[in-house]
Amino acid sequence: MQARSKTALAILCCAVLLAACRRQNSLPPPQTAEPIHGGEVVVALAQDLSGFNEYTGFAESTELAILDLLFPSLLTEQPDYQLHPPSFAPALAKAWEFSEDNRTLTLYLRENARWSDGTPVTAEDVAFTFRVQKDRRLAWPGQEIKDFIEGVEVVSPTVVRFRFSRVYPYQLMDANDGHIVPAHVWGKVPLEDWPHTDFSKLLVTSGPFRVATHLPNQTLVLARDPNYWDQPKPYLDRVVFRVLPEVSQQLAQLFAGQVDLVLMVPPREAASVKQDPKLELVEVPSRVWGYVGWNNRRPPLNDRRVRRALSLAINRKALVETVYWGYARLANGPIPSTMWAYNKNLPVFPYDPQQAQALLDAAGVRDSDGDGVREWGGKPFTIELLYPGVNPLRAQAAVLIQADLAKVGIAVRPTPMEFTAMMARQEAGNFDAVLSAWEEATKVDLTSLWVTPSPTTGSNNFIGYSNPEVDHLAAQAREESDLAKVKLFLDRAQELIVEDQPVTFLYEGVQLVGLSRRIKGADINPSSVFFNLPEWYLAP
Amino acid sequence: MTARLFRRLFASLLVVWAVASATFFLASLAPGDLATKLADPRIPPAARERLREHYGLHRPLGQRYLAWLSGVVTGNLGDSFLYRRPVTQVLAQALPNTALLASVGLGLELVLGVVLGLVQVRRPHGFWDRVLSAFSLIAYAVPTFLVAAGLLWLFAYRWPVFPASHMTGLTAPADFWTTLADRARHLALPAITVGVTGCGAVARYLRGALLDEQAQAYILGALARGASRRRVLLLHALPNAALPLLTVLGLSLPFLVSGTLVIEVLFSWPGMGQVFYSAVTARDIPLIQAATILVTAAVVAGNWLADAAYALADPRIRR
Repeated sequence: MQARSKTALAILCCAVLLAACRRQNSLPPPQTAEPIHGGEVVVALAQDLSGFNEYTGFAESTELAILDLLFPSLLTEQPDYQLHPPSFAPALAKAWEFSEDNRTLTLYLRENARWSDGTPVTAEDVAFTFRVQKDRRLAWPGQEIKDFIEGVEVVSPTVVRFRFSRVYPYQLMDANDGHIVPAHVWGKVPLEDWPHTDFSKLLVTSGPFRVATHLPNQTLVLARDPNYWDQPKPYLDRVVFRVLPEVSQQLAQLFAGQVDLVLMVPPREAASVKQDPKLELVEVPSRVWGYVGWNNRRPPLNDRRVRRALSLAINRKALVETVYWGYARLANGPIPSTMWAYNKNLPVFPYDPQQAQALLDAAGVRDSDGDGVREWGGKPFTIELLYPGVNPLRAQAAVLIQADLAKVGIAVRPTPMEFTAMMARQEAGNFDAVLSAWEEATKVDLTSLWVTPSPTTGSNNFIGYSNPEVDHLAAQAREESDLAKVKLFLDRAQELIVEDQPVTFLYEGVQLVGLSRRIKGADINPSSVFFNLPEWYLAP
Repeated sequence: MTARLFRRLFASLLVVWAVASATFFLASLAPGDLATKLADPRIPPAARERLREHYGLHRPLGQRYLAWLSGVVTGNLGDSFLYRRPVTQVLAQALPNTALLASVGLGLELVLGVVLGLVQVRRPHGFWDRVLSAFSLIAYAVPTFLVAAGLLWLFAYRWPVFPASHMTGLTAPADFWTTLADRARHLALPAITVGVTGCGAVARYLRGALLDEQAQAYILGALARGASRRRVLLLHALPNAALPLLTVLGLSLPFLVSGTLVIEVLFSWPGMGQVFYSAVTARDIPLIQAATILVTAAVVAGNWLADAAYALADPRIRR
């Protein structure tokens, strides 16, 4: 989660720009049945790739989606986490099997897989990639994902074996994490030199596309790789990524037909994208949910009655409708409703200021001097609400929350902060409340957010939430391999968390993708916007 | 003379060192670091701690400062945390782009400003003087992003004469001349933005200086000797009135290396402004430091050049 908009100022000019670019256009041409080869698609990117080697640093999700087009994965994670933990489809590995004791995973690689220089992609590349992933000299943040993999063994050029130190539900997912990189080229650079190496000069790839040109912070052109070994082979000749840091420019160019795809349309512009006959607005349910995190360590916020009262006093429905223009869903609990593990029977917290007042009175947060503001410890009860200052949506939400809570006698001071500085205050526990958002991984695990902080748990539980029963259930869900039982544990844990309201769950995000109707065959799904890019083609 | 030059050079180095050191401590003391920013379910805190160690952020501040300083002295500015390459490489890519935009923009600013100033003093307090005075005040006062948005609206979207963003088109031009034409087209709107927003100040300075000069006896003398107004204005008054412009220009030199964030972001121009901004938000200390050294050096050099140019242009200073 990074600060998205670059300059708050420049947003002002958005309206001026956009108004100019909405021209009436003729209806889109009729659809043809047969996909056409050729042509190019232009995608607006908020920022350039930070590099082509994901193992030397941190690559954000759009970056990984682009690397998907260049480097092979053993398997392809499917966007089916709504039904069950994500399943996997063959990719570089055509088949796989676990040993009797589930501690050994054997993968059979495709014989015809080739790097762009013609060299076969082999088990050596897989083993090399694993060594890279585990190397302490590199700053790959995913290293801990491989904690339970003891080793990777080359059985033959097309057979590779992963050995696990323990058995758990996400073994396949963890083995698959990270792209396979070319041992015969990158292996020649000593690992200690990797942090200073410009890998754009060592681009031997193996995907449907290869890099044609890259002008840093400008343009990345991917061209169809004619020798791509897998199906389907791309219809498009080129995919051009244009770096456009300012979202108003992205949209202006989308309306003007200079850009075909905008990855994140702000909710207030959604209607105009919808109205444009040349464009389509694709609503992708995301795993992002927004919340107000209360400092569970600080009195009186450590009292569950107070937190429940705060949640009851915030008109969350109005917030979703005004700030997100209806392009978000009300969030109810710690697991997004788009995921298989979501508990459908969770109670919904209504907007009920009266009940909130009663709860606050009961908790001893009362307005004893009659000035309209409740007191705590002899002083007016004021909550400082931190939010990232560059995000205009959070600023609007903060003001609405301030108004709602004022109605029940609680003073809120919205405080915009620079993102990293805000994170530092979170880490230090030096805050009352934080307005923020979280993106759930496809691997459902309550340990990092909701389990009592300890050296091995609660790593992202900066609000200091602690409920021994939740701790126990999360641990059980983590160890259990029977999915039905896992679901039971998670259901109960969700109920407890909702009862405790350690945070006020606000909204579940919807990613709005603006797409030119020139593009046909696109299946944009929560896994990645570019999930089936090889199957995209242009309308004639 | 040489001794003075060396003294000046030494003082300049001292200024660069002081500014860079102050920036180092301020950036390091700012809340949060590179690892803080990475709040992501993919990244466990163990990984964040490992990253801190990887980038040496776990060491005491003093040690980090000494390590950085010894690196600078030996010519090693370090690797960017964010771009995962040596900072020199990152800067080498951004600097020429900013220099190109800034030099063309400043050139435009100067030409526009001088023309405005000259037209204004032809008939002080006359119609054109008033109109152009108003224009230069507005140009000076209007925020850059508004000028940029207006230009974009008019010339990139309403009448698409110029491209709205980037330094190049989608397809690589075939030869030198088409490359040049392509670059010029892409340069047009951002450079005009720089020129228009900057020309007001130049025009105001020049108008004031020219009016002062015109009141001088030597101007009256030249006119009395029968020289035309135009000749007097261009050949006698302008060179003298242009002196303050040298200072203005010298002080603009840092702009050649620092870039402006707003213009670069709006026009997707991959220059130093963007590098600086992303470095600061990511707490990318090696990159912040290198960029600061560069900009400070440019400020110092700009001042120095302005002084030198002044001395060359005005014999009174040399004494």
